[in-house]
Amino acid sequence: MDGELLSDTFVELTDTMVVGFDVIDFMHMLTNRCVELLDVSAAGLLLADPRGELRVVAASSEAARLLELFQIQSDEGPCLECFRSGQPVQVPDLAAVVHRWPQFAPAAGQAGFAAVQALPMRLREQVIGALNLFRSAAGTFDRADIRVGQALADVATISLLQERNMRHSDTLNEQLQTALNSRVIIEQAKGKLAERLGMDMDMAFSLLRESARTSNRRLSDVAQGFVNGTEGLAGLNASGPRPPAPRPPNRPGF
Amino acid sequence: MTDSRSARVWSLVAAQSARHGGPVSAADVCLAAVAAVEVTGAWLIAARGAEAGHLMRVTDKASELLAELQVTLGEGPGPDAAASGGPVLASDLDETEAVRRWPAFAPAARQAGAAAIFAFPLQLGAIRTGVMSLYRVRSGPLSAFQLGDALVFADTATMLLLDAQDQLAYGAGPAGTGPGGQPADLTRHRAEIDQATGMLTEQLGVGIGEAFVRLRAYAYAHDRRLSDLARDIVARRLRLSPDPDLREENQA
Repeated sequence: MDGELLSDTFVELTDTMVVGFDVIDFMHMLTNRCVELLDVSAAGLLLADPRGELRVVAASSEAARLLELFQIQSDEGPCLECFRSGQPVQVPDLAAVVHRWPQFAPAAGQAGFAAVQALPMRLREQVIGALNLFRSAAGTFDRADIRVGQALADVATISLLQERNMRHSDTLNEQLQTALNSRVIIEQAKGKLAERLGMDMDMAFSLLRESARTSNRRLSDVAQGFVNGTEGLAGLNASGPRPPAPRPPNRPGF
Repeated sequence: MTDSRSARVWSLVAAQSARHGGPVSAADVCLAAVAAVEVTGAWLIAARGAEAGHLMRVTDKASELLAELQVTLGEGPGPDAAASGGPVLASDLDETEAVRRWPAFAPAARQAGAAAIFAFPLQLGAIRTGVMSLYRVRSGPLSAFQLGDALVFADTATMLLLDAQDQLAYGAGPAGTGPGGQPADLTRHRAEIDQATGMLTEQLGVGIGEAFVRLRAYAYAHDRRLSDLARDIVARRLRLSPDPDLREENQA
């Protein structure tokens, strides 16, 4: 494990009081760091919406995000169980638990995942969501990886809840709703970009992120400007040559 | 879960509308929200493009005054909710933070009788239809349950405002409504619906709001579920024609 990246990540996770702090960027950073630091293929993050449902807030890949969405839609899977119980759920071999999750287990296999570790985002009695780690090969997760993953989830949870207390307002709920709506804006932008350049959604998302990074702006702002047609994308010549024919898009069933 | 909550919220709105016998409107949402969320009053401002809002509905005199104050002073939870794209939950207007944030509006709102204001943007991603605000004479945060309800009331108002646009544009019934005229619950399967809406802006050469209206109108006209239709568009099995009258879609 990259010790320097790990310590940098903990610093990043406590840095919620900065001006322009953005919950969705924060969650994306957490899922990306999990993939960089731990022996996992992908990570996804679910947070509880006050409406009463779990929502996918961030994921390190489109496949992981779709699988998280699928769990919510089919109302079964280890991440949901983890959230409801507030306890970690470990599934070293998804193929062996089809009877337990008849919809989720095959869908995970189709998405290329063979093992899942779900970690609660929890402070005392309050469970605000779940961090889920996916691996493409079956087998138990490394114990050190699980401990570090849980520590990252704990620090992120404390940072978010503390941020709310420090500002004497319901900032977490305000920002969560903003983040959920940002997620919608990003999906709309992905669709628009995918259609314009004839590419798949994953590629469109990468381009949007790249554009945000190049212009040093928030992903949601870049996406909103692009959807509203008030601005182009930095680092992207939108009227430029079209890339090769589109790859078959997302598998039906998701 | 959300399904039962949106069903309950919808039945409250429908019961409200049954009292006057007309079609369900955003005004019914405001009145039903005041009772269910246990606040004093509510108002709703519809977005007119990116410009400052146009007052649509108020439930009482104080709400009207509060709405006007925000427009006049150009500050307050409502304008902030519209700008940030998230709710603004000002549970105590006497607090230093509130006064610092809205130096003119906070004291004026207290004068008008509001101790807490909760503003909810009526939006679907980049589609903005307005802001719904709730006020209460007593300070204090909304409970988690009340907040959940308030968000679902705001979702309902969003769909009703979009329906009103559908009807203006196409004279058709509300495309996103499910059985019994209930607005479609968009929280599930929503990524594909959002992606399809984005794709339609390009296919049809229209803005995002119009693209969503067209998506719903197509689903309604062809008696299809919005999520199934969206999935076909995202999978590029279906394209919509820029001319709504032609209805010549290329089935791949």
